[in-house]
Amino acid sequence: MKNKYFSRLKRLKPRGIQSTIMFAFSVISISIILLLGSVLYFRFSAISRQEIIQSTQKLMEQAGESLENYLVSMRQISDAVYYNVIKENDLSSQDQNIQRGMNLLYEANRDNLRSIAIYNNYGSLMAAEPVASQKEDPNVTRQDWYKQAMDEMENMHFSTPHIQNLFNDSTQRYYWVISLSRVVELTDNGDTHLGVLLVDMDYTSISRMMKQINALNNGQYYYLCDSNGEIIYHRQQIQISKGICNENSGIAANYKDGIYDETFEGEQRKVIVDTISYTGWKLVGVIPYSAFTHGMINIRYSIVALVLLMVLMLVVINRIVSVRVSSPIMKLNNSVMKYEAGEKPEIYIGGTLEIRHLAHSIQSSYEQIDTLMRKIVLEQNERRKSELDALQSQINPHFLYNTLESITWMVEGERNDEASFMISQLAKLFRISLSKGRTIISVKDELQHAQSYMNIQKIRYKNTFSVEYDVDQCVYSYCTVKLILQPILENAINYGVSSMDDCGEIKVTGRLKADNIILSVTDNGIGMSEEEVSLILTDSSRVQKHGSGVGLINVNNRIQILFGKEYGLIIESEPDKGTSVSICIPAVPYNEENRKILEKGHIFSKEEMIDKKQL
Amino acid sequence: MKKNRKLFILLEAFLAVLVIAAVLIMLWGKNGKDRYKVSVIIQNSDDNQWAAFKYGLRMAAEDKGIEMFVVSTGGALTVEEEKSAIEWEIDNGADAVIVQPVPSPDAEEMLKKIENKVPVMLVGYTASGNKDASRLPATGPDNYAMGAALAEELLKDYNGNIKGKTLGILTETTDSPAAVSREKGFTDTLKDTGVEISWSVSGVFDGNEEDSPGNQPKVDFVIALDDNSLTTAGSYSAANNLHGALVYGIGNSTEAVYYLDMGFAECLVVPDEFNVGYQSLTEIWEKLGHYFSSLQDITVSHTVLRRDTLFLKENQEILFTMSQ
Repeated sequence: MKNKYFSRLKRLKPRGIQSTIMFAFSVISISIILLLGSVLYFRFSAISRQEIIQSTQKLMEQAGESLENYLVSMRQISDAVYYNVIKENDLSSQDQNIQRGMNLLYEANRDNLRSIAIYNNYGSLMAAEPVASQKEDPNVTRQDWYKQAMDEMENMHFSTPHIQNLFNDSTQRYYWVISLSRVVELTDNGDTHLGVLLVDMDYTSISRMMKQINALNNGQYYYLCDSNGEIIYHRQQIQISKGICNENSGIAANYKDGIYDETFEGEQRKVIVDTISYTGWKLVGVIPYSAFTHGMINIRYSIVALVLLMVLMLVVINRIVSVRVSSPIMKLNNSVMKYEAGEKPEIYIGGTLEIRHLAHSIQSSYEQIDTLMRKIVLEQNERRKSELDALQSQINPHFLYNTLESITWMVEGERNDEASFMISQLAKLFRISLSKGRTIISVKDELQHAQSYMNIQKIRYKNTFSVEYDVDQCVYSYCTVKLILQPILENAINYGVSSMDDCGEIKVTGRLKADNIILSVTDNGIGMSEEEVSLILTDSSRVQKHGSGVGLINVNNRIQILFGKEYGLIIESEPDKGTSVSICIPAVPYNEENRKILEKGHIFSKEEMIDKKQL
Repeated sequence: MKKNRKLFILLEAFLAVLVIAAVLIMLWGKNGKDRYKVSVIIQNSDDNQWAAFKYGLRMAAEDKGIEMFVVSTGGALTVEEEKSAIEWEIDNGADAVIVQPVPSPDAEEMLKKIENKVPVMLVGYTASGNKDASRLPATGPDNYAMGAALAEELLKDYNGNIKGKTLGILTETTDSPAAVSREKGFTDTLKDTGVEISWSVSGVFDGNEEDSPGNQPKVDFVIALDDNSLTTAGSYSAANNLHGALVYGIGNSTEAVYYLDMGFAECLVVPDEFNVGYQSLTEIWEKLGHYFSSLQDITVSHTVLRRDTLFLKENQEILFTMSQ
């Protein structure tokens, strides 16, 4: 199962550098933006929530103050009626004063008042303002406000809203009032007895105040209830009483002033409670949690739009950055791929310093590879050419013709012993020349080959020159390239001693010097100038005037191909004094193993040479 | 490379679409959603009897966020007048209409045609007279039950013995299916009680019309089967023009309550007009919100008021809704 997901992930993994950079940049930047967006939203949301709660509290404080002021003014009216009107006048003798005083107070506050009335302890109406006829039997003593006043005489009592059931209103209307009742002492004919002063406040004053703060349409609302949870004002008062909806007023009435979290009918909400002093009424502000989000919806979409816009721009920027970063690498990669495909493109050099450096390195590497390849090819060609030349020298027809002609003359002149010697030398010469097709032979065989060659040449040149061999025996058992002495000896004869009369001398020496073998051919011939010496090993265009055609350059190349550049020919010459050509080769013991290694083209290092010797 | 570019363009296009969508939603949110508009066409819309109904409509409109408008009608409408009033409202953007049907055989057809354009909810009673046959939904009280309740209250007052008593029935109109149902409910309940229906008059009386209740033969009870009739009977009783007859009736105005409160009526059966308004508009709102839902008939309750129970807490709320 895991493998399945991993394989899917692997498939999703971007492969190109541009995709990788773009993907990585995008993931990081989008994650940061999403994180920032979320943090911004939650922070903003918390602040907004706090602000809503604070503004609600402030609004409730103001509304509470307005309500308190209103209720205080009602109490002041009640106090004024009681202390300035009722207590100052006798009901029976000064009823006009009482009526006037009540009228004055009523007219001053008629916007908020429905009526002011005084009842005696039997429930009979003593005075009322505005003047109105009482209903036939309003049963005052059984009305709540009267009972409350009589039950607790020392207090003023605010009732819950109710229909005023006292007066016969000719307009056939019924008024919703809140009654403020208190027990008063009435003076009637000098006698004092108890009565009840009723101030009926117009409910519309309170409902107007509450409607003003309930104007918000975001689900947030305020209601007013008494200390028992009885609703005084609620925007859905009738719906609640009819059971269409409910309110948690019973619980809210028990809350102290403050902010509460509650869940009511599955809805989470914040409830802010403020107690209206003296009455014990509770002004309750309800903020459903949906109201918090109501104001946040636009902000939410703004943040979403902003985040999306930033993502949109970042994707573009990431694309540009990734293209700019990856473009030089991709161009470099493309040129390398073309190179690998066999084309010869220009390696792209561009972009940043590091990529330029890399491109330069790749370019120089390819250039070096090209040079090396060309060199290898050249060396191989030269090797083949040298070998071909060497092969040709093995069967130099001119030499063979001359030798055979000399032998013929000897036979014809019945110099049979000389002819026999020459034939045997020729046989040795060819045996070593062939050497079973080997390139590497022992120094001894090479010297033997040189001796055979020189013996033949001496006969041919009728001993006009002498040959001396001074070779240390210790060099015999080392490896050498075959047929390297013969071209030198040929040159020594042709250019050195051939023109001299019986005084030509050629000396062949062989020494082991510091891990090297030095084979020298020295003649006392005409010698060469320094310029000519310097041209012998460098000017391959020189045409051989005499001999097998195998030049010293060829010999030098063959030595260097097989033993390395540090080996080869050393030519020393002075005009009229003679020439010395020395072959310098490493002292590699001759055995089958070393021969095969050398013939394969392996060049021994110094250390290997030492090891070989020790063995 | 090409694939990457294609993917990039697609991604950018997708993000651009999302940005545009978010901005559009934001702008749409700022402009605010269009609120449903519902027009209410009732006869004699300024009459006091509609106070509780209109308060119910207003409360439902506030609760549901509906733009509600009660068309002002001076008096009784004809079918043509009602039709043109409804069409005017529809032309002015009403998404639905609440209609008190004109008591006429043509009303049903006319309203049915209107229903093809916008949802129609009837109030008070059905248009066809026969509730079961009506094809249009209606919200209103059970008129038959109210008539029966009134009769039961009468019987209760006399311990079921009203044999030999006489009564007169007063209705505003005999065409109204409500009046027919109420009378039927009343008479069905009093069947076999021995009470005699001396007279039955219909109309709007405001003076000494020949067939006014005051000019009718003396009866023991006057039964007023609608609010107008009850206030008429109450005013005649208050003026002592009913020859001492006791008034029993159905009504839903503060005037009707006043006559009960003052003792000019013995019993008042009050339909829950608040709920008629509230429930009819709520039902319309639900229909507008759910295209495939259908409007249902809604029957609201009624309350029997007596003078001594008039100011009970639960009954005060009826008065509260009537006083708005």
